[in-house]
Amino acid sequence: MKGYVGKILKVDLTTEKWHIKSFDEKHVRNVLGGQGFCVDIVYHGVPEGADPLGSQNVLAIAGGAFDGFPVGTGGKVAFAAKGPATNTLVESIMGGSIGPELRHAGYDALEITGKADGPAYIFIEDDKIEINDASDLWGKDTRVVPEALKKRHGWDVKVACIGVAGEKLSNMACIDCDDRQSGRGGLGAVMGSKNLKAIVVRGTRDLVPHDPKKLLELALHYQKIYEASPSFVEDTKYGTGEFLGWVNKDRGVFPTKNWQESVYNERQQIDPYYWAPKYVTKNKACFACTKPCGKLFEVKSGKFAGVAIDGIEYETLYSLGGTCGNPDVESVARANELCDLLGLDTISCGVTIGFAMELYQRGIISRQEAGVDLSWSNAPSAVPEMVELIGNRRGFGDVLANGVKVAAQKIGKGAERYAIHTKGLEPPAYDVRGMKGHGLAYMTSTRGACHLRAGFYAPELVGKFWKWEGIDRFSAVGKGPMVATMENFMCVYDSVGLCKFSRGFYLIAKLPEVLEAITGLRFTEDELLKIGERIHNMKGAFNYREGVTRKDWLLPQRVLEDPITDGVSKGSKISVDEMNLMLDDYMNARGWTKDGKPTPEKLKELGIE
Amino acid sequence: MPKMLVPYPENCTGCRFCEMACTIFHEGVVNHTTARLQVHKKNVKVDFPSVCTHCVSCGEDCCVLHCPVEAIKKENGRVFVNQDECTACGTCVEVCPFGVMRMEEKAFNCDLCGGDPTCVKFCPMKAIVYEEPKPEQYEKVKKLLGEE
Repeated sequence: MKGYVGKILKVDLTTEKWHIKSFDEKHVRNVLGGQGFCVDIVYHGVPEGADPLGSQNVLAIAGGAFDGFPVGTGGKVAFAAKGPATNTLVESIMGGSIGPELRHAGYDALEITGKADGPAYIFIEDDKIEINDASDLWGKDTRVVPEALKKRHGWDVKVACIGVAGEKLSNMACIDCDDRQSGRGGLGAVMGSKNLKAIVVRGTRDLVPHDPKKLLELALHYQKIYEASPSFVEDTKYGTGEFLGWVNKDRGVFPTKNWQESVYNERQQIDPYYWAPKYVTKNKACFACTKPCGKLFEVKSGKFAGVAIDGIEYETLYSLGGTCGNPDVESVARANELCDLLGLDTISCGVTIGFAMELYQRGIISRQEAGVDLSWSNAPSAVPEMVELIGNRRGFGDVLANGVKVAAQKIGKGAERYAIHTKGLEPPAYDVRGMKGHGLAYMTSTRGACHLRAGFYAPELVGKFWKWEGIDRFSAVGKGPMVATMENFMCVYDSVGLCKFSRGFYLIAKLPEVLEAITGLRFTEDELLKIGERIHNMKGAFNYREGVTRKDWLLPQRVLEDPITDGVSKGSKISVDEMNLMLDDYMNARGWTKDGKPTPEKLKELGIE
Repeated sequence: MPKMLVPYPENCTGCRFCEMACTIFHEGVVNHTTARLQVHKKNVKVDFPSVCTHCVSCGEDCCVLHCPVEAIKKENGRVFVNQDECTACGTCVEVCPFGVMRMEEKAFNCDLCGGDPTCVKFCPMKAIVYEEPKPEQYEKVKKLLGEE
């Protein structure tokens, strides 16, 4: 078996001991790599009922099967643990270069258990493994930390770290590497709870593909396909926000002011067609990405002069822009920068601020309680201010630091009515009232409301994808099996380490050829989808075991009760009957009980123990 | 002037595809410690490629000049290491201002893939271009390296 190193490094922070576990082809045929490896580690490694922020939790990191090899957009690395926001198995994928570096050091995956005595960082250089003191780095931001560690260990080490939000155990804390983030579900807090500030890696070993000549041919082949596609021009010019105007106006599903509206009329400035020519000074890319959607956004003058970020992503234009009613793109950029520096997920953080702003609008919280003027008209000032308070857990920021679900419980006074989340995770930038299958995907996502576990926004907004055509986004009929299939599809992507923005190029059919060139192993399309199904079922079984069942999956009240008030999707909502129909269809398609339990027969069929 | 690799830091996204393609083409493996060029992902604002300029940048021919056994030659504007004469002392690796003289059993450097550089082929952003040497571009990279 080529491509893989065949080794997993297990580091225990409590005992300061480590050992190496080998795996063979059977493991690869089971869970493939990346997300699959991580899910396997967490599924088997975290005991029932473990506190996500306790020493029993396990943090897993693994590059995908393609990671480290020249496959355009194939450099994704997965992080996973039991997540504090949802109590479920959370995996979060990013494009930082720590994945390939780990493989060069000799490990396809890293498994971290226990808890360090005090602030620590792990340093890995091939066979050398150290757990070092990080007292001097504690309290430092996600740019200062890698800079200091590169000064200490050399410019070429790769660093994944947390910011202050992770240290302070915020449910929305992320992990940063190369200005890219594993954002969702609070994995930064898991690191923080282990007193682990950073992971530093240098690897010098060869990665050996099965057929290098074929691999290079394929790389060139796909490079030509990328460059000839319209998305190459759009992604490199405008980034992921390219379709903001279209989602907003042509589809009417851009959630605004905490989902009170679905069309943002003041969007002019936050649309990349406005800001990219004005503020973007350079393109940025994830590891191995030759179709870069990252932008260096720089503010040169005015109140926010000096801001420099890799962004602004579509999701952030919604979370720190639209859903906070913040039309000022420089303010959005500054809030984005603060989230990055403090180590906060921009989606959860922005949605939580938007939630607080609606509570303020309704008089549920006062100016005095908030400590900041949270009126919509003050958004450009209030949003960055609130990000700082949340990241540092200061003042009202402490109330909000664990997201909308926890904040609503603390605030009471009917605040729960305005808390938009599923399973405790704040939703991304698609108003699912006008895209019902995507609403189902928000419920079934194992890590809480997510657009990328199924990626179902694409089939519904476009009307076709892969083997489906004529998809009606306003219909709840037939969505269950489609969402289940797309979840399996996406598990495969996260396990080979390919960017989901390339899913239209490769689908599943074209992956076996690339996998064979790297690993020498042959897979059929069905075998890959089966692996995806296995990974999803492991997550499902883990979550059910942790007591997260159908009652916890349900859509927020607003989505079920308040129809969209404006734009082309006006009048649409997901009724309780539609929600239940979709959930029943989904459970059937999965072979799960109505309550969301993967049956013993299903687990046996998939070989899950 | 023969064509050379010219780096454009302002275009580099830091994806490091060129490094991987380099060693896959030459050795059939991926290893950035033996790639004949380096990508520095310095911080949010700065990514840049450091390439072998075949010493057209400063005219000092560092590796050629400093090799104690004169194993490094320059012919037709191209620097190469005579593998029979190299003693693997490592002097050239130390003096190369771009950090791209490499060492395994013997020293080696960029051979421009025989005139069709693989790194250039795989850079859609034109951060490395095969063209007439541009001293000002080499200076930019030297300055960035000096800051590291």
